[in-house]
Amino acid sequence: MRLALLLAFLPLPALAGVAEAVDDQILPATERFAASAGALAGAAAADCTAPALRPAYQDTFDAWMGMSHLTFGPLERDGRALTIEFWPDPRGRVARTVRGLASEADPVVGDAAGFAQVSIAGRGLMALEQLLYDEELSGYGAGDYPCRYATAIARDLAAMAEAVQAEWQDHSRLMLSAGEPGNPRYLAESEASQALYTALLGGLEFDADQRLGRPLGSFDKPRPRLAEARRSDRPLRNISLSLAALRDLAVALSDAPIPATQAAFEAAQATAGALDDPRLAGVADPAGRLKVEILQQQIRAISDAIEAEIGGALGLTAGFNSQDGD
Amino acid sequence: MKIKLAISALACAAAAPAFAGKPEVVSTYVAIAHAGYEDSLIKARELQAAVDALLAEPSAQALEAARHAWLAARVPYQQTEAYRFGNAIVDDWEGKVNAWPLDEGLIDYVDPSYGGASDENEYAALNVVASPSFLLSGNEVDASQITPELLAETLHEADAIEANVATGYHAIEFLLWGQDLNGTDPGAGNRPWTDYAAADACTGGNCDRRGAYLKAATDLLVSDLEWMTAQWAEGGEAATSLAADPDAAITAMLTGMGSLSYGELAGERMKLGVMLNDPEEEHDCFSDNTHNSHYYDGIGIRNVYLGEYTRADGSVVSGESLSSLVSAADPAVDQALRAGLDNSVAKLGRIKIAAEAGTSYDQMLGGENQTGEALVMAAVDALVAQTQDIQRAVNVLGLQEIGFEGSDSLDNPDAVFQ
Repeated sequence: MRLALLLAFLPLPALAGVAEAVDDQILPATERFAASAGALAGAAAADCTAPALRPAYQDTFDAWMGMSHLTFGPLERDGRALTIEFWPDPRGRVARTVRGLASEADPVVGDAAGFAQVSIAGRGLMALEQLLYDEELSGYGAGDYPCRYATAIARDLAAMAEAVQAEWQDHSRLMLSAGEPGNPRYLAESEASQALYTALLGGLEFDADQRLGRPLGSFDKPRPRLAEARRSDRPLRNISLSLAALRDLAVALSDAPIPATQAAFEAAQATAGALDDPRLAGVADPAGRLKVEILQQQIRAISDAIEAEIGGALGLTAGFNSQDGD
Repeated sequence: MKIKLAISALACAAAAPAFAGKPEVVSTYVAIAHAGYEDSLIKARELQAAVDALLAEPSAQALEAARHAWLAARVPYQQTEAYRFGNAIVDDWEGKVNAWPLDEGLIDYVDPSYGGASDENEYAALNVVASPSFLLSGNEVDASQITPELLAETLHEADAIEANVATGYHAIEFLLWGQDLNGTDPGAGNRPWTDYAAADACTGGNCDRRGAYLKAATDLLVSDLEWMTAQWAEGGEAATSLAADPDAAITAMLTGMGSLSYGELAGERMKLGVMLNDPEEEHDCFSDNTHNSHYYDGIGIRNVYLGEYTRADGSVVSGESLSSLVSAADPAVDQALRAGLDNSVAKLGRIKIAAEAGTSYDQMLGGENQTGEALVMAAVDALVAQTQDIQRAVNVLGLQEIGFEGSDSLDNPDAVFQ
């Protein structure tokens, strides 16, 4: 009885991994994304033609995969996560919006504040992908409208990345002072770890259900064209980079060894590494499809391992997720 | 004997002041669901009668009466949406009645600006009303008779595309209003009543088939709501399974509140539209009724928490509430959540006020409309904030994991191996 009471008043171990997650995964990821997006804007200022911008676009997308799972806090504010990457796009809005702006040569691209009010389907990485990789659009010259448009997207991305980085400095302090008086966002220590735990499981769910699930479609109707950023050959790369970031987060969040989780990540990462199908085009034939389905199952198995190993140990359950809903 | 009694009395007093039992809270939840679906059914039958009258004797007045019946039918239905995400029996079914957004060209004629078949949906402009037969996923479909079965079993989600919405409120809405071609300018859809007129007076072509479609979709809505009402009646599957496991039922209540607040309403239905500046991202886009559909979602979420529902006839269903349960566990969490729910209803109410005074929801989505954006985003922020308080209620009640909506892996671990 007395022991139980004592235990009840001991501080929960839930905060254990928050500092590590912030320091080891989140803040470095925000810095890397800000640096890459800044370099993208710099590259556009020097030469905004498609071949010149593609490497910086790829770097920026790589960096984005390090933090796209952080859907709360600074990335939730003003809908930044969706603005940075508007995907999935089931109604083909990005292609339509980008072509609309380009065909009208909309002067809004010359004004940063005005451009920040443009539909998110015309901004961010997916709109830039259209300009840099679409066969009809990407042949523009240095003096053409799409060149100025690509520059506007790059600057807009750099500004958002910089703001996110700065705000994460503040938000991380908020997470680390969870449960202290005057902290309106995290009323208990466990709320901060629960937010990270939810982001971790939400990220894995997004990889399995969206990044893989959308191109998989159904057996009778595979949809390889719906793979994320397929024009720029990123579908598989995004999965691999996302898994790497989520693994770092899981390791940081746990204050005990997590062998089952580590093994589950390794299995999925090995499958992804051996897939040799950058666009996930193989979903359309039975043999290739099976491999992608196995990867999807392995990613779901990571979630199961995390729930058992991290959730159980820290007394955490997943909270509401911004991707709940349809 | 005496001592034992004293101890147990003390234990009760210490553990649970004014404690509402979980079974009573759950029975309130079930009673409200039953009343809500029954009201939806009653109003759908009124809509059915109005549609029958329109088809029997087409006129501008008869079309207007059917539109009014549709608008009234949305009031109870939207309040039931708080039941969707926590209850698989509702979530698995709701796509039949409230699927959205839709590629309406599947059903009937559309403006040339709509475009045709797309990469995403090759049947986006199929136009069943004008096509007695057509090829669908490689099969010849005989659509010479437009029946509820054709809509539900062949056309709905045709080709496994969710935007192929052939049934439910929004299909009916399109048939009553037509496309809203005003973009983010004022005005709703403006389908002429003569789209249902006989012989030479018919506009838009195939008026008899259009009427048959409207009739089939309305009949289907009624039968779908009959089914769902029965699930919540005494002995119905939803009522029985929730009563059998009150802990799971309380989890379902909070899951439904949180998932509708956050991912669905604040995210998918509101924030996305503002950020895309796109009037097609409006939930009731043909009728310009979105301010009401959002508002009654908010009311429905609060109903679940307060254990109180105002029926379509004005009577009130109420009982032991989730609020009292949370209050017994932690009064501060209960207070914050009540305040949060009142705040979101008030912010959604502002949108309704502006819309009813003439500034429609699609106008608020315009890229240049900062005032409209602020109005919508204030409601989004309130819904996001209340989700944090719902989360706290989950935590203080010591409930197990809330459902991750939409994830096969968590809803049904076996699904991934099928």
